[in-house]
Amino acid sequence: MRAAEPVAGTLAKDGTAAELARIDAGPEDGGWRIGAAGRWTLHAAGSASDALDRAQKPEDGAAVRLDLSRVEALDTVGAYLLNRLADRLGAEGHAVEVVGVRPEHAALFGAVRDAGKAPPHAIERDHHPILDMVVRTGQTTVNAGKELLDLVGFLGLVTVTFGRLILRPSRLRLTSVLFHIEQTGLNALPILGLLSFLIGVVLAFQGADQLKRFGAELYVVNLLGISVLREIGILMTAIIVAGRSGSAFTAQIGTMKVNQEVDAIGTMGLDPIELLVVPRALALMISLPLLAFYADVMGLFGGAVMAYATLDITFGQFIRQLHTAVGINTVIAGLIKAPVFALVIAMVGCYEGLKVSGSAESVGIMTTKAVVEGIFLVIVIDAVFSVVFSMLGV
Amino acid sequence: MDTSPVIRVRGLVTRFGPQTVHDGLDLDVERGEVLGVVGGSGTGKSVLLKEILGLIAPSAGRIELLGHDTAELGRAERTALQARTGVLFQNGALFSSMTVAENVMLPLKEHTDLPPALIAEVARVKIAMAGLPPDAGTKHPAQLSGGMIKRAGLARALALDPDILFLDEPTAGLDPIGAAAFDTLIQGLQRSLGLTVFMVTHDLDSLTSICDRIAVLVDRKIRVGTLAQHLADPHPWIRDYFHGPRGRAALDAKERNQARQLAKG
Repeated sequence: MRAAEPVAGTLAKDGTAAELARIDAGPEDGGWRIGAAGRWTLHAAGSASDALDRAQKPEDGAAVRLDLSRVEALDTVGAYLLNRLADRLGAEGHAVEVVGVRPEHAALFGAVRDAGKAPPHAIERDHHPILDMVVRTGQTTVNAGKELLDLVGFLGLVTVTFGRLILRPSRLRLTSVLFHIEQTGLNALPILGLLSFLIGVVLAFQGADQLKRFGAELYVVNLLGISVLREIGILMTAIIVAGRSGSAFTAQIGTMKVNQEVDAIGTMGLDPIELLVVPRALALMISLPLLAFYADVMGLFGGAVMAYATLDITFGQFIRQLHTAVGINTVIAGLIKAPVFALVIAMVGCYEGLKVSGSAESVGIMTTKAVVEGIFLVIVIDAVFSVVFSMLGV
Repeated sequence: MDTSPVIRVRGLVTRFGPQTVHDGLDLDVERGEVLGVVGGSGTGKSVLLKEILGLIAPSAGRIELLGHDTAELGRAERTALQARTGVLFQNGALFSSMTVAENVMLPLKEHTDLPPALIAEVARVKIAMAGLPPDAGTKHPAQLSGGMIKRAGLARALALDPDILFLDEPTAGLDPIGAAAFDTLIQGLQRSLGLTVFMVTHDLDSLTSICDRIAVLVDRKIRVGTLAQHLADPHPWIRDYFHGPRGRAALDAKERNQARQLAKG
């Protein structure tokens, strides 16, 4: 057992001379003697390594007696270093005999020797950096493909469950749907309203600045009407909802997965998809179009305020100009994307939530993934819509 | 050899709002002993452990660790003292973003200036001493079973060769064979490393097989004694604890073990 050391200062590398590990080596009758002395502990390990490096090497083939009788203190690190010395000498062809292990050190010395015998696990082979990058790229691509396939499969599963619920509407959890409409829709109104209003303000301001040069200030209304109603309103909504609600879905379902609640649902003969996924997807598909419409209104309102402030366009003029600039088609072209985006966000959110495995850590990873994938897919699908609309001439 | 207690608690009072958990609790833990701490739910076993470790400040009283009053230590001294204690938390508390080997190497990297190669080697030895297979070092905690997580946590707790090892329910959640193996492991390490072990446990088999003394938290105080002394204690909770069906079974098992060892020896 080690004597109590003064608490402060025990972590210093070098103590007084008495606290250091020492080695003295030299020939003795018919062989070689290596004597270890002093403190062979963690805190003296620096001096122990130095001592081992400096120690005189025995002649080739000489029998070595490793004498530990003057070791004052020993811990795992010291025992490991002494064992390593014995092993190395043995490997160099010396007959090694360890003598004089103090009784209070014997158990520790033996335990470390046994533990040290465990073969070190195979060292990983050297990697080629460029080859590695190619391998990683390939793996990521394959995984992304698999994930997309999985997501489509999940969409199919949810669709089938939806279909079953249409046949038996009494099984639909209406309370749950309403709860999620409140969570994803009603509670998002303040943040979404403010952000859309500000975007409208910014667009009007920037647009006015440019159009003024041509004396075409009034066309700010056209710019606002088209861009907000077709793209910006719905995109802002979808991105905010993906960040707010898609991540919440993953975190909620993921936490239930960690607590084995999802397993419990399964063992009670209930369907996790029906219980957890369908209400969320349905709620989002109802609330997102409403939110998008609200965002459109707030965005136009922000633009109108800015137009009045900087260009003296009255609200009446603004409305009249808006009538001539955009038709109902423009509004529909924007809002028709809303249910699709809602479905994508809900699918990704719930899918990643159900993929959470065991640990709390994976909830965080999957939540981040759900947000990134949700926003990514929303923008990709928006681009697809644009292409399709331009081909249809909408 | 120093014979003063490694942990000395005097007049410890712990209050949470109107609720008093400890009221004038005294406790001495001797160098080199294995102390088991038991008590009903809500008697403040974990709170006592956290107070000794300095994670919670007691309402009143004095706690000395290795002869130093923990409340009066400066930052550097506290760090030095913490390097001489190792803690195995109930669920291992391994850092999930690191491999097992990195977990064990972390205190060595932070508290010593050993060369990195030696740190890796020492970590490998500790992992082997904790009874883990060699390939466990490269795994992440999420890839390990419950028993392996406890062993990895133990390897990390032992990284700096501490004087005192604190164990919070080390065998909870292990199967009986795994729990018995873990008891043997702790006992073996305690003997070879000369550890003082402070163990909060509910496992009657651990209590009867590896604890030198047992501390029972009752009536907001603590009663310390050997197993034989507790068996003779008339306090109703202690009587129910050790003479209940589970207590009896553990004692019978201990007697059978001793008889078998006598027959062998």
